[in-house]
Amino acid sequence: MKWLLIVGGVVAAVGLFLLATASADTALFARHYPLLLGLNAALAALLAALVGTQLVLLARRHRARVFGARITLRLLVRFAALAVVPGLIVYAVSVQFLTRSIESWFDVKVDAALEGGLNLGQQVMEQMTQDLQAKANAMALELAEPSQPQLARQLERLRAQLGVEEAVLVSASGRLVASAAQDVTRLVPELPGSQALRQARLQRSYSVVDAAVGRPLSLRVVVPVELATEARFLQVRQSVPASFARSAEAVEAAYRDYRELAISRDGLKRIYIVTLTFALLMALFVAVAVAATQSGLLAEPLANLAQATQAVARGDFSRRAPVTSRDELGVLTESFNSMTRQLDEARRGVESNRVALEAAKVRLENILANLSAGVLVFDHELGLSISNHGAAAILGGELEGFAAQMRAHFAEQGDQNWQLELQLKGTGKTLHARGARLPQATGGGAVVVFDDITRLIQAQRATAWAEVARRLAHEIKNPLTPIQLSAERLEMKLGERLAREDAETLRRGTETIVNQVTALKAMVDDFRDYARLPAPEPAPLDLNQLVRQVLVLYENSTAPIAKDLAEPLPLVWADGAQIRQVIHNLVQNAQDALEHRGERGARPAIEVRTELAGDRVRLAVSDNGGGFPEELMARIFEPYVTTKPRGTGLGLAIVKKIVDEHHGAVTIENRPSRGASVSVLLPLAKAA
Amino acid sequence: MRRVALAAILLAAIVVRADEIEVRDVALRQVEEGLALDADFAFELTPRLAEVVANGVPLYFRVEFELARRRWYWFDDIAAAKRMHLRLSYHALSRQYRLSTGSLQQSFPTLEEALNVLKRVRNWLVVEREVRLADADYDAAVRMRLDTALLPKPFQLSALTGRDLQLESPWKRFIMRPTP
Repeated sequence: MKWLLIVGGVVAAVGLFLLATASADTALFARHYPLLLGLNAALAALLAALVGTQLVLLARRHRARVFGARITLRLLVRFAALAVVPGLIVYAVSVQFLTRSIESWFDVKVDAALEGGLNLGQQVMEQMTQDLQAKANAMALELAEPSQPQLARQLERLRAQLGVEEAVLVSASGRLVASAAQDVTRLVPELPGSQALRQARLQRSYSVVDAAVGRPLSLRVVVPVELATEARFLQVRQSVPASFARSAEAVEAAYRDYRELAISRDGLKRIYIVTLTFALLMALFVAVAVAATQSGLLAEPLANLAQATQAVARGDFSRRAPVTSRDELGVLTESFNSMTRQLDEARRGVESNRVALEAAKVRLENILANLSAGVLVFDHELGLSISNHGAAAILGGELEGFAAQMRAHFAEQGDQNWQLELQLKGTGKTLHARGARLPQATGGGAVVVFDDITRLIQAQRATAWAEVARRLAHEIKNPLTPIQLSAERLEMKLGERLAREDAETLRRGTETIVNQVTALKAMVDDFRDYARLPAPEPAPLDLNQLVRQVLVLYENSTAPIAKDLAEPLPLVWADGAQIRQVIHNLVQNAQDALEHRGERGARPAIEVRTELAGDRVRLAVSDNGGGFPEELMARIFEPYVTTKPRGTGLGLAIVKKIVDEHHGAVTIENRPSRGASVSVLLPLAKAA
Repeated sequence: MRRVALAAILLAAIVVRADEIEVRDVALRQVEEGLALDADFAFELTPRLAEVVANGVPLYFRVEFELARRRWYWFDDIAAAKRMHLRLSYHALSRQYRLSTGSLQQSFPTLEEALNVLKRVRNWLVVEREVRLADADYDAAVRMRLDTALLPKPFQLSALTGRDLQLESPWKRFIMRPTP
């Protein structure tokens, strides 16, 4: 659009220049004047169309309330007014001046002078013609004399005498009779035409001014020559003096030009007015077009800025307003861009901080979640706000009760940090909890970290029992043998000397001592075995085969033992001798449980089961006896904890110890119907 | 001279207006050099034109002739196209009207006489003997007009806008069949 305008303006200027040149009377353009006029009109129309298009576009944008359209329109109106008003004034003055001055050319005095000059010339010519006519008449009289033998010579004489340039005598039919000329080089004289002869015959005279182009102005007169015999005509010719002819022609030419201008003055005025109008129109159109372009240029950066501002308002910081100029608008745009950039950077910084914080939070949460210890966080009003997986795993359904207990403890302790060991009422787990107040700067509140130390305590007890057993073996067993020997010697030495009654008493006493010592020894051995249980030497082991071997020994037992062995069962990684011990212990326990139960209820039954459980093998021994009392469940694996009226209570403790050393697991449960079930999980041989 | 009769058929009726030239009689004659045109035109100079010429401004009249053979399959075959310029002017010093065609120049004491000659075109050689004409019907067309492009500039603008400086005839067309 812009280039179109520039090209249009340039072409219009050229056209206008040509038109102005043509108006200033150049022969070259005179022929093509209408063409030039049409060309200029077309250019003006083109420019008008361009300007019109732009105005319509602008008006449409203004109506559509496009940002920047209003300021563009206002600038356009001002620019256009700046150009249009002076243009119109100059135009009006020019037109007025032109019409006046053209009118003033046609002065009455000049008119009269030129006309006078022309009249003068015409009168002089008439005078000359009359002179020539008189001379011709005189010659005709002379020539009318009859009998002239030497006609040509007489004609020449007369011509020379009267000072005529050329004299021609023709017959009535127009044929040459004789001629004489001052200029002898002209051989063939110009003969009078039939029209001239006819007029000469009728009016006794014919005169004409020869004013052919390219020849000197000359006068010609034809008169009849009255001969007795025939009619002849004499034509005489006289050139007008060259200086006079020149002056007369000059006057004539001036007069002609003047008259031409005078009768065409309206046309002339119209030409100038048309040229001026075109000039005005093109100037106006170009001015308006330039105004439109300029105002568009001025408004464009503003519109860009506005768009960028709206983008920023929407939160899009990536938009940059293009810098189109080096002026204040450019500086403004540049500043806006840098502001946007800074905003963008700041926002990005905030964003990355937020992401980092979130990552840290997620990390903390992960750590908390994967912590085996339970963590409870309370807010400043001691409401529970966070509890991790560990807490849920340890507490199970007792979370609320525990939280209430902790809350009470916090209230009791105030701002002090505390440690506490407590036992859960439900599952009987032993927990070690540490409470701390959170600093007020982070919003206050409190945190409790607690661990399930049941297993730790069990381990501690197991270790303590092992120590006790070792001491018992060492400290108790040593005196037992002398006690037994002493008792036996007493019986040997004193038995024969005492009376039968006393001897019997001694024998029974000694027997009791020996029996009890033996029992005590067995018990001490048991304890020693427990304490000195050797480290297992695991190897791939067929568990089913081992179970069958062991159960052969119990074929005569009071309670029938059912086998439910999964085939095929993968080999387990275990020490055969120790696992044999485990099976013995479990089966004996089951038998004891059934024996202790007495005759109540259904037939006693024991079941030994093996099966694959995930990546381990389960060995389960269950009975339909009395089951374990609930209060002993947590400590059932400790030595000397037993449900039996007699026994060391080491059976399950040994089982537990062996299985632990095999990296296995042992669980006990009371079956829902009756009795108890003990499961041992052992690792597979290939996994070890 | 062998005179050959040529058919001349008026194709369209012409309404003569004040500023229009009427083409009256048109005829093509066979002459030794080829075909010659005789034509009579009828018109009156408008008062404005008479004023213009009386003030010494020359008027240029143009007589145009065209001979073409219609061809339905292609552009018309133009056998001959001629134009003749006639210049009418007034010489104030000698009070004569002049009519010139090429190098030929005639003077007349009155405008009337000069116009009478101007209106009669005689013996205008329009088709040279060398031009070979086919044995077919030809469209011949004649017209006369005042050449306003040769007027001085101020008059040209008036000629564009007003009718009082315009003088022209429509094409007068007739069919001609050359005789062998």
